[in-house]
Amino acid sequence: MNAISIDRRRFFVSVAAVGGALVVGVQPRNAAAGALASGIAPWLSIASDDTVTVFVATPEIGNGVLTQCAMLVAEELGCAWSHIHAEPATPTFNYLNGELYTKAMGRLGFFAGRSTTPARMTTLLQVGASARERLRAAAAQRWQVPVSEIEARDSLLRHKSSGRTLRYGEVAEQAAKVSMAEEPALKPQSQWSLLGKSRPGKLGAAKVVDGSAVYGMDVRLPGMLYAALRQAPVHGGRLKSYDFEAIRQMPGVHSVVVVDPSEPRTNIKVPAPLPDLTQAASGVAVVAEHYWQARQALDALPVAWEAGPGADWATHEKISAAALAVCEAPAKEVLSKGDALGRLGQAGAKTVSAAYLTPFCDHVTMEPLNGTALVTPERTDLWHPSQNPQQAFAIAVEESGVHPSNVHVHQTLVGGGFGRRVHCDDVRMVVAVARKVPGRPVHVIWSREESMRQGRYRPLVATKMTASLGEDGLPDAFLARYSGVGASTTGLVTCAYANGPIPNFRVEGQTVPAHIRTGPYRGPNYNAHAFMVESFIDECAAAAGADPLDYRLKLLARFDDPAWTKCLKVVAEKSGWGGRLPRGQGRGVAISNWSATAPGQPKEGTTVAAVARVEVSRAGELKVRQIDMAFDCGQVIDRDGVLAQLEGGAVFGLNMSLNEMLTIRDGQVVEGNYNEYPMLRMGDLPDIRIHFDALSGNDRYSEVGEPPVGPIGPAIANAIFAATGKRIRQTPFRLQDLSWA
Amino acid sequence: MQAIVVNGKRLETDADPSTPLLWVLRDHLGLTGAKFGCGVGQCGACTVQIDGAAVRSCLAPLSAVGEGQVKTIEGLSADCSHPLQKAWIELNVAQCGYCQAGMLMAAEALLKAKPDPTDADIDAMVSNICRCGTYVRVRAGIHRAAAEIRKTRGA
Repeated sequence: MNAISIDRRRFFVSVAAVGGALVVGVQPRNAAAGALASGIAPWLSIASDDTVTVFVATPEIGNGVLTQCAMLVAEELGCAWSHIHAEPATPTFNYLNGELYTKAMGRLGFFAGRSTTPARMTTLLQVGASARERLRAAAAQRWQVPVSEIEARDSLLRHKSSGRTLRYGEVAEQAAKVSMAEEPALKPQSQWSLLGKSRPGKLGAAKVVDGSAVYGMDVRLPGMLYAALRQAPVHGGRLKSYDFEAIRQMPGVHSVVVVDPSEPRTNIKVPAPLPDLTQAASGVAVVAEHYWQARQALDALPVAWEAGPGADWATHEKISAAALAVCEAPAKEVLSKGDALGRLGQAGAKTVSAAYLTPFCDHVTMEPLNGTALVTPERTDLWHPSQNPQQAFAIAVEESGVHPSNVHVHQTLVGGGFGRRVHCDDVRMVVAVARKVPGRPVHVIWSREESMRQGRYRPLVATKMTASLGEDGLPDAFLARYSGVGASTTGLVTCAYANGPIPNFRVEGQTVPAHIRTGPYRGPNYNAHAFMVESFIDECAAAAGADPLDYRLKLLARFDDPAWTKCLKVVAEKSGWGGRLPRGQGRGVAISNWSATAPGQPKEGTTVAAVARVEVSRAGELKVRQIDMAFDCGQVIDRDGVLAQLEGGAVFGLNMSLNEMLTIRDGQVVEGNYNEYPMLRMGDLPDIRIHFDALSGNDRYSEVGEPPVGPIGPAIANAIFAATGKRIRQTPFRLQDLSWA
Repeated sequence: MQAIVVNGKRLETDADPSTPLLWVLRDHLGLTGAKFGCGVGQCGACTVQIDGAAVRSCLAPLSAVGEGQVKTIEGLSADCSHPLQKAWIELNVAQCGYCQAGMLMAAEALLKAKPDPTDADIDAMVSNICRCGTYVRVRAGIHRAAAEIRKTRGA
């Protein structure tokens, strides 16, 4: 198990007794001298009442990261599951103590997106083991028996021959005084009893089902005011005027606050995971005693805006046309292997060429954007459902101008992230409003319409692909030219086909400078390019007269990771690939991979293969009947958590592909609520079947939240082609003409 | 001042009668279990019951509640012992959890009307939106809770 063993040259396990509890922390060693840095970052504490607290920097956004962290500790510590809970590690502590958490976990240590960061896994296993051994040693001292005779299980220390027991909490303080020459080695994986098995029960589940869980929206503080926010409807526009007198007398109204991006901000900078801190948007907020009063008054407030340069990009049709036009001409080279241009220029070879387009989409997290801040000249407190608390901290420092040692981010539960709460532009606006009402906590709430129209959207992506097919029908040269707003190379440069299967592979790209703000959205850019590449590979298979599954198997035989083939074979078998279907039905297959660490490389990230079975009526009504998925993320820690992410990822991929599209008129986002932005509901779901049979057992635990979003759309589009002969090159499918004769 | 009955208790509020019940519960009465999701009756995160029927509280003005018995997630049980709550915990239904209070209140209203619901009954009466995509488990949770309730009643 080399992949998970703590780096002892870089870290040192420290323990302390704090209020009768055993606290276990990790100290990074200074790089040069090997000496210890000052301070201890607590990772784990065991209180005298047996309560085990795991301190986790990464917020819970629904992916079960807190449960997984607790499982890692519990595996080594041997505590009863009912005794364990998780608390947030704070970015202020991190800042004040030499970045002790981020030194252990890297720049993105506080970022909620990856739940399987190897550094965090090893550290949690180690602190669990180190605590257990100290507890055993303390019990051995107490009973004057050899340590080897003491068993630690279910939060009890048991002397095997005498049958005596002690609770962990009874020796916690004493355990903090045990000194050990060497920290214990981690259990071999073969002895794991919790990890890789099903989940012992998600932490915090009871609070969700009894309504006591506290999301950002549920923060309640004495003297708290509410603010309803409106930002320039054309992104990048500015507030021109407003008339407070028109609403001054409305019930509960306290004040109107203006957020002006051109006002000077402080120069206090603290390390941030994403160094380019998002800027404030021009906006206006009505502050009132209650949210409904603020909302009513904001709706009544006369406001005029200046559109700014965004007015030049008046419609999504104009933006899409510009992006597609860029794809027709040579652009900046971002990847070139072999001689794709030369090959494509050769006469005689069979050539396939097609342009694809995906639209802006909003995250529509169920919890609308919101946050609460209390700003005084001396101190800032922020209660926030962030996906990135350290980023929130850096922005709260800059926006409030308060010294970082007095800025405190209180992480709440998060009602969905999917990337929307990573850059913390919402934090910027919350603090910008609250600092104009010093001394009072202000809960700033975006309406659903404001959340949807002031998003940081899934980029609009246009990509044209051209391939020439070799003698064997497989592509021997491939050229992709991408463009769009916020578009990137992810999913093209990081595509497995670039690393062996297609010898001549070239990617070019150039974005379009439209004003619509974009950001990460579950599987950024991969979610678009997986659709495009996997549909295009299907086009190549059709041109070669090959079965789409066989075609991919042949192509991926050239990629140095047999798990891809396994995923395809498993999903084909489970889905009944090749079986006869009635007219109007079809199956489609797709496969893609998302990796945060080494994208596009064999045996990295998570590979997901999907088969969709669809039915299309002659009039063009689409029903997705069944989705089968097989995947390889190496190994799994939290089996039921992995299953939940794949189920949810399939639904996310379905909705994105079938339904989602924002449109632009007069430079503004049109859609504001779910009645204009349809979402799948329970009755719309196909039969979703997740298969674990393709897991390779490779020595990695890759994330599973983002990968499943990739292959769903192309599997459906390819199934539509199989059913109707129509090739669908744009999403959402609900807006495409699928009728057939 | 107006009084409404919530979870069996008579509570007074100074909220304007036009205020949607959701905001009366959340901001005036301190019951934050019902969630704000859309404000237009689409997503169902704000679902509570009035006299046993599932209602999207973001659209129901306080003045319309009258003497109706309001039940929120906080009133589903005192100790997470409702079969739906137990099923939700056992099946790890929730991901982010934000929509689940509404799901549960819609599901409970369904089970009262249809103790042995079909999938079509569930589709019709639990039309709430979940962005995390927990639908597969929500459905399983409803069936499991329904089975337990029927067993307890000896049906």
